[in-house]
Amino acid sequence: MNPALTIAKKEYSLSLRSFGTYIIFGVFLLASGVWFALTALKLQVADLRDIFSKMQILFLFFIPALTMGSIARERANGTLELVSTLPLKLSHIVWGKFLSVWLQVATVLVYTLVFPVLVAVFGVGMDLGAVFTGYLGLLCSAAALVGIGIFASSLTDNQVIGFITALAISGFLFLLGHLGDLIPLRLFSVIEYLGFDYHLNSFVKGVIDTRDLLWFAAVSFIFVLLAQLRLQAENLRQEK
Amino acid sequence: MLEIQNLSRSFGAIKAVNKVSFSVSGGEIVGFLGPNGAGKTTTMRMMVGWLQPDEGAISLGGKSIFADPLAASARIGYLPENNPLYGEMAVGEFLRYFGELRRMNPAFLDERLEFVRAACGLDGVWKQRISTLSKGYRQRTGLAQAILHDPEVLILDEPTGGLDPNQIIEIRELIRQLGKEKTVLLSSHIMQEVQALCSRVIIINKGRIIVDDSIENLGAHISGLNRVIIELEAQEPDFSLWLEQKEGVSLESVEQSGAIHRFRFLSPPEQDIRRELTAFVLEKGWQLVSIYQEKQSLESIFHELTSQEAAEEAQEQIPFESDGVQKLVAELHPIDGDLTCPESDPGLPNNNNNKDEQ
Repeated sequence: MNPALTIAKKEYSLSLRSFGTYIIFGVFLLASGVWFALTALKLQVADLRDIFSKMQILFLFFIPALTMGSIARERANGTLELVSTLPLKLSHIVWGKFLSVWLQVATVLVYTLVFPVLVAVFGVGMDLGAVFTGYLGLLCSAAALVGIGIFASSLTDNQVIGFITALAISGFLFLLGHLGDLIPLRLFSVIEYLGFDYHLNSFVKGVIDTRDLLWFAAVSFIFVLLAQLRLQAENLRQEK
Repeated sequence: MLEIQNLSRSFGAIKAVNKVSFSVSGGEIVGFLGPNGAGKTTTMRMMVGWLQPDEGAISLGGKSIFADPLAASARIGYLPENNPLYGEMAVGEFLRYFGELRRMNPAFLDERLEFVRAACGLDGVWKQRISTLSKGYRQRTGLAQAILHDPEVLILDEPTGGLDPNQIIEIRELIRQLGKEKTVLLSSHIMQEVQALCSRVIIINKGRIIVDDSIENLGAHISGLNRVIIELEAQEPDFSLWLEQKEGVSLESVEQSGAIHRFRFLSPPEQDIRRELTAFVLEKGWQLVSIYQEKQSLESIFHELTSQEAAEEAQEQIPFESDGVQKLVAELHPIDGDLTCPESDPGLPNNNNNKDEQ
């Protein structure tokens, strides 16, 4: 088996054994459940668009919480040294970690399928296609956020710093689409393109645009690569 | 087998390793000895590819380890300092994971897992979580990890650090067994360890090799005097007459405890004065209780060599900085700790690697 898959398998199964993971899962599900209840039940709107965009916001906190330890904790424990001296490439390590966290996010998303089921049962009419693209959009932005989180975690041996850095980078990318009033209109079209929202819109509308898929793939790839370069650089100038 | 040439590495302004060269051949256990912060861990980290050297070459079986790092690391087993492990995993699960990461053939992996389970005495804790293990079992797990893939070269950074005397004996026995077939380089700041295990010792201080020789030849590196200790029962024994006839021999000290007098003599290394001393005592009719010659222990050699270096450097520093000597003495102080209780290795301040201890 490819070492990256071996690492992903081990990290994933360990995460499911950790109490901390369930707390993070629980908080995410609770928050999105409350949001869903407020819109769908109170406002009597059987529309999933709103909950998808709310889950995007929750991701900004949820995903850094899952990625913050991925490399930082191994560095603090010294196991990074052990793993780095195995006949492995650093890319195996970072991609293994990436896959593991992405899979954890996907696992949580399986539980949120209860929302579309509720809407289907109690609501009037549901666009199955939009649900599908909505989840695809969530998985795509999750991949990008996991990449950012792995990179942030690779910078430090402190999990809290890993969390805050990931939150800052992904929050920045998320907010780029909401800066409309602050920047000149001509510049805005460029800035907006770099933001998450711009690329998520079509998913929420039920459209899959290959350019958006590529954009998220590129963001994930770039940040995982940065994490790998960071680990490489560490070998060259590791502080005492 | 393993060859190091002119290896250097600095951390900022500190030259942690300075033009170090040595080689280790197969079936040899070599001890890498030095006070904390001497550059042992840095050298070992460069050998396993965790740190890049600033300059110098490391070759394994004639091939540079940088030419094909993956192939090189497949041939090396490494036990890092402080033995980091995944605490959440069970021992067997952890070892299997590492075997899979090394992409070992499944049948071979099973065979090796059985081997290390028996050889490292892990049978009883195989399914136990690593975080619940005692330090001794953790160390065995780390060692099992290092030998799992049957490497030709073993690099062990303080393999017995923090263990109790019984555990130390067990781990040493294991290393001794491994050393019969493999090339073993182990670092330590405990003299007895090196004396007990290694055929050769490399002493490193302040990033430089000061001795690289077999244990037996170490004495030649210093011009020490032999010390002969004689204990006897007598009324006011006096050696002054005998001493007058002996060129180069001197009386170091006299003690009396109860009826027993203890004399310490110093003699030149080429001269064995025990026979003549015994003859003299018998001639005088004194009761001889014991007589023995104190061998220069590795630790005294080590102490002398490392403090010689310090003294030389201190002298160089004096014109610029008057408290240089004090600083150096303070730096070397951890060695004194070893002299008094070498086996238990109390958590001495580890200047070498503060980062890992956070």
